[in-house]
Amino acid sequence: MSESCGNPAAETDALMARRTKFDRSRDCVKCKTNTGNIVIRHAVYCKDCFTPLQITKLKRTLEPTINAASAAAKGPSRNKLRADGNLAIGISGGLGSTVLLDLIARCYYSTDGSTKTKGKGGTKHPRNNESIWREARVFYIEMCGAYPESASRDRTDEIRLIVEKYPAFEFCPLRIEDAFDPAWWARVGGRSPEKEHAMGVNLASEDLLLGSVSSPTGSPCAALRAYLSSLPTATATQSAIANLTRLLLLYTATSTGSSHLLLGTTLTSLSIGLISGVAVGGGFVVREEAGEQWAPRGGTSASAVKIVRPLKDMGMKECAAWAWWNGLAVVGKENVSGGRQGIGGLTKDFIVGLERDYPSTVSTIARTCAKLAPKAAASERCVLCERPAQKGVQEWKARISIRSVRDANTDASQAAPPPKLNPPHDGHQLPPTLALTPHLCYACHTTFTSRSSRSAAHLAKGVALGAQGGPVPLPAWVASRMHEFGSGGDSAGHAGGDKEVWQGKQMGAGEMQAVVGEFLLEE
Amino acid sequence: MPPRTCGLCNNARAMLKRPKTGQQICRDCFFYVFETEVHNTITEAKLFKPGDKVAIGASGGKDSTVLAHVMKALNERYQYGLDLFLLSIDEGITGYRDDSLETVKRNQQQYDMPLKILSYDELYGWTMDAIVEQVGKKNNCTFCGVFRRQALDRGAASLGVDHIVTGHNADDIAETVLMNIMRGDIARLGRCTLICTEGEDTIKRSKPFKYAYEKEIVMYAYFKKLDYFSTECIYSPDAYRGHARVFLKDLEAARPSAIIDIIHSGEAFEVSEEVKATQKVQQTCKRCGYMSSNDLCKACTLLEGLERGVANSAITDRARKKLDAEGPAPENLRTIPFYHAPSATPNIAIAINTP
Repeated sequence: MSESCGNPAAETDALMARRTKFDRSRDCVKCKTNTGNIVIRHAVYCKDCFTPLQITKLKRTLEPTINAASAAAKGPSRNKLRADGNLAIGISGGLGSTVLLDLIARCYYSTDGSTKTKGKGGTKHPRNNESIWREARVFYIEMCGAYPESASRDRTDEIRLIVEKYPAFEFCPLRIEDAFDPAWWARVGGRSPEKEHAMGVNLASEDLLLGSVSSPTGSPCAALRAYLSSLPTATATQSAIANLTRLLLLYTATSTGSSHLLLGTTLTSLSIGLISGVAVGGGFVVREEAGEQWAPRGGTSASAVKIVRPLKDMGMKECAAWAWWNGLAVVGKENVSGGRQGIGGLTKDFIVGLERDYPSTVSTIARTCAKLAPKAAASERCVLCERPAQKGVQEWKARISIRSVRDANTDASQAAPPPKLNPPHDGHQLPPTLALTPHLCYACHTTFTSRSSRSAAHLAKGVALGAQGGPVPLPAWVASRMHEFGSGGDSAGHAGGDKEVWQGKQMGAGEMQAVVGEFLLEE
Repeated sequence: MPPRTCGLCNNARAMLKRPKTGQQICRDCFFYVFETEVHNTITEAKLFKPGDKVAIGASGGKDSTVLAHVMKALNERYQYGLDLFLLSIDEGITGYRDDSLETVKRNQQQYDMPLKILSYDELYGWTMDAIVEQVGKKNNCTFCGVFRRQALDRGAASLGVDHIVTGHNADDIAETVLMNIMRGDIARLGRCTLICTEGEDTIKRSKPFKYAYEKEIVMYAYFKKLDYFSTECIYSPDAYRGHARVFLKDLEAARPSAIIDIIHSGEAFEVSEEVKATQKVQQTCKRCGYMSSNDLCKACTLLEGLERGVANSAITDRARKKLDAEGPAPENLRTIPFYHAPSATPNIAIAINTP
């Protein structure tokens, strides 16, 4: 019987026996001799068995993406893993990426920095002397520019110290504001529009009309802040930062000839990403959320970079155990201000809580999403997230939530004419060179346009959403792409109780009003 | 502060903020856009054709009460040419159904629609009260859900209708998408966002409120002064769905478009071809003729367990083994009447209450 909880009101007899956290015994399920040190989804493992188990999981995920035939083979041919390009590792300073860095260094690099595989034979043996990747770089994106209000510290030097422990890796710091920096864009091979034509977007209407940014000479940091502060919700800010991070990594990795971009996404964070991706309308690219092959516009498959998440079979708990037992220092990520109020933060809280009660949930989410495919072929690539975009998104939105008379689809045969609606203000018929909307996927358009009830009220007062400051700057790749549209070119711009009890009660006007009260305006 | 004008017509005074879009609009515009969006949903999916007989699944709750009102209005306004019926299921839960059935009977009078009430007792020989008495406090909603689905189809077949519309709203669908992902139910995930589901020879089932927010349905009932019965289960044993529901409400509070965004996601993906190939083929139950994935449909399996005193046989492996050990079902076992699709002559003759 469990011990008293200290609450005199709780009778000991009424408490259920605590459920054991493991299925059988306390002995390791693998070696069956040692006493277990960790419980992973009801299975007990000792420390000695835990390490090879995690290495196997990592290799099982990563190696088929390097060279599928070799990874599947057994015997000598297995060691002929050879990537087409260089290695890029994205590190955030969080738990997952810290563990990833350590695991990659242990599995594929020796302490002196040379690449090796763990085959038999001496270090001079040709089998152990071949590099899987010619060069390896670690990219870190400093986020403090995105959160000026929280006075967050610059972590670049702390991350540099961690990366320098692994001589095989070259440290390449970036900053989140680089996304708005023409110098970075030029470095990664992009064509910048001339400064006097710097392009921005006006978020006041759902068409997202394009215009010239009033002060194109401002710093990238100022442009980033103008961009983020113009977004309507905390969710939109989180999505925008994640998107900028992803594209900065992809463009930079491609420009360094990388064939693989490894991210420290754990099984837990992958599940969070998948569910929040669905919740923000990104179902069409749910497969890309788990892994994608990406090339810049006009790039060939040879120049494509594969985003791989080698820790996608390791939960947060396993990563924490790995970091603890191996004495890894975790710098930690920037705490996003207002993050808990956004869909990403809410999903994280929900999934982490659910994982505690239902340990298999995160794995189920990842496996379920792996069985999904987009329903239709992509029409084009979204200019903002550079992922496949669906056709007919705007028509779908107009049909299911009418926002203007044009959406109302009036029918001459109807008995009751509609109220006299105001003329359409949005510009679906606008030339695509004048508006951003036709070039965005559902999720990105929603990021710019979906408002919380609070921001909608602010909008009515005319005090928010970039309406006051004119067009806001766009990330370099978007501005470049839209400039090409504008100039007429369409070429690539880049290289308790359980009883069922029903209660019926008549709902009076007062009770109905209580449900919808917050949406009713004062008489 | 001067009163705000409606964001749609720019004439009348704004009376509400739309939960779905955040727009501040007047009452008339709200009625218009709510009804037109449902109309758009119906026409885009080509749900009906003139002359169709359509049964509205009516529980007396908010969704079905508003659905009956809107279906009648749209049928007249846009001349769908539908024969509308009300179809209610009486689960046999003392004190629960009585009041809400009164609402349905009032709807029958108001909307001048024929009403049919089919009870579990009549169809299965068991009321939910009797089932709970045997299965105990757990798992009784498994029986209720399976029996209700089949009862609706059988009720519709007896009315000779070929289409049932139900009041499932956008919140229900978004919640189901999330729940199916979280519990790995790939088969249901593939079909839960479909507006219309139909087997080879089964009755069509549609959800015209697929894109209607629950809050807007309540708002519509409030402004139209429709009365309904709240039928919330206060001790829901389905903890998992409860988790998903709370999470969805949090998402909606963070960004109201989340509900519609989840539905859009659900519509954008499908089960991949390789996985589809491994899914079970739909067949018919050997005992009652209803659609089934196995030799016996779920309702027959549950009923056999009830009749043979091993009620949990369709729920736990242990109970199933116990039932198997007792040998095959006796020949005099009480079974569900054989199901005939609406194209065949209905064999269940039950009187319809006409207004």
